[in-house]
Amino acid sequence: MSDVDDINGLAGEFVLGTLEAAERVAVAARRRREPALDAAILAWERRLAPLAETVPPVEPPAGLYERIEVALESTAARALGAPSADIIDLERRVRRWRWTAAAASLAAALALVVIGVREASRPEAVQSFVGVFNKDDVSPAFMLTVDLQSKVLTIRTVGAPQQPGKSYQLWIKTTPQTPPRSLGVIASASYTVGPELAVYRTDEVRGATFGVSEEPLGGSPTGQPTGPVLHAQLVPARP
Amino acid sequence: MPTTTAELAELIARVARGDRSAFKAVYAATSSKLFGIAVRILGRKEVAEEVLQEVYVKVWERAGEFDPARASPITWMATITRNRALDEVRRRAPVSIEDTPEALEIADTGEDALAQLARNEDGRRLLECIGKLEPQRREVVLLAYYQGMSREALGQRFGRPVATIKTWLHRSLAQLRQCLGE
Repeated sequence: MSDVDDINGLAGEFVLGTLEAAERVAVAARRRREPALDAAILAWERRLAPLAETVPPVEPPAGLYERIEVALESTAARALGAPSADIIDLERRVRRWRWTAAAASLAAALALVVIGVREASRPEAVQSFVGVFNKDDVSPAFMLTVDLQSKVLTIRTVGAPQQPGKSYQLWIKTTPQTPPRSLGVIASASYTVGPELAVYRTDEVRGATFGVSEEPLGGSPTGQPTGPVLHAQLVPARP
Repeated sequence: MPTTTAELAELIARVARGDRSAFKAVYAATSSKLFGIAVRILGRKEVAEEVLQEVYVKVWERAGEFDPARASPITWMATITRNRALDEVRRRAPVSIEDTPEALEIADTGEDALAQLARNEDGRRLLECIGKLEPQRREVVLLAYYQGMSREALGQRFGRPVATIKTWLHRSLAQLRQCLGE
């Protein structure tokens, strides 16, 4: 088989979708530096395009457009010089976490404010990140700052009301497969987490999802988040 | 789709200039088509929703890169959708029984759908060439394209080793390319 056949076969499989995850990533990277492969992929996309047009349409749920608009706002904030909060990925993780947690516990309503921080891929990337947990569309409830170098996280209560008989609890989730782990009950207006975070590798912290849930006084009785849902949004950390 | 290709290209050009109302019109004109593509590959509506959301954010961000000389707007958007959906479906663990779609009817490989190909010239040519593939190999190609099945999944479905599926795919692709005259 010649190189040209190889490239065409690989490009064709990439477009058909039969490659495994690692191969897809490898091909996506290769096409950036191999114009011949890129051209072969574009050619297959064009050849097979009529098939995509035959797929029966399915109406997306109402409200999806509004969610996209919210995501665009976040993206715009990021474009204004955010170090890198990967908001889209974050929002996906928010929902994924909700499902996992909902599946894991019988509690009907789930209960998290979730936030992800992620470093930019640039080597000079800023080492500290800020997240805002919003209790509604406007008012922040908590501010989270993470210093990746020292692995110290501080969460400040901003607008979250102190409710009798209730505690707020902070969680970390490092992969989609692992359940959230408690980083402790937020016991003061400015609560700092050190040792609990030190057990995680820097890249785990960087890619982690953080959450705040409302729990009974003293924290979740189940070891997993149980309280009501709040909405989360990231804001750029100013270096 | 009520919006024509030319209208859609014009809307995307406006999106590239940051026109949110044009973006909304693009969404209205294309979202059910793209959602259909994502649902077919991902099998679960809630996952397809996430993917669709990301797709439109990309459309917003990359509208300036769209080149009508290279692809029609819907092909460009369908490609973004398929790539995101395929990345997502490959990244996920194999779907378990509980994960199978509730109210989701996934159509077959789509011999019906193929009939629609005859509506335009490119479609007619592709249909003719796909029709020349051996039936089982044709099915492999269509299942891969429509449902995002991996070589491994296709191997299981057809009771063949993965290497055989790869050979089939490469031969079918080469045959298609030759038939299409390129």
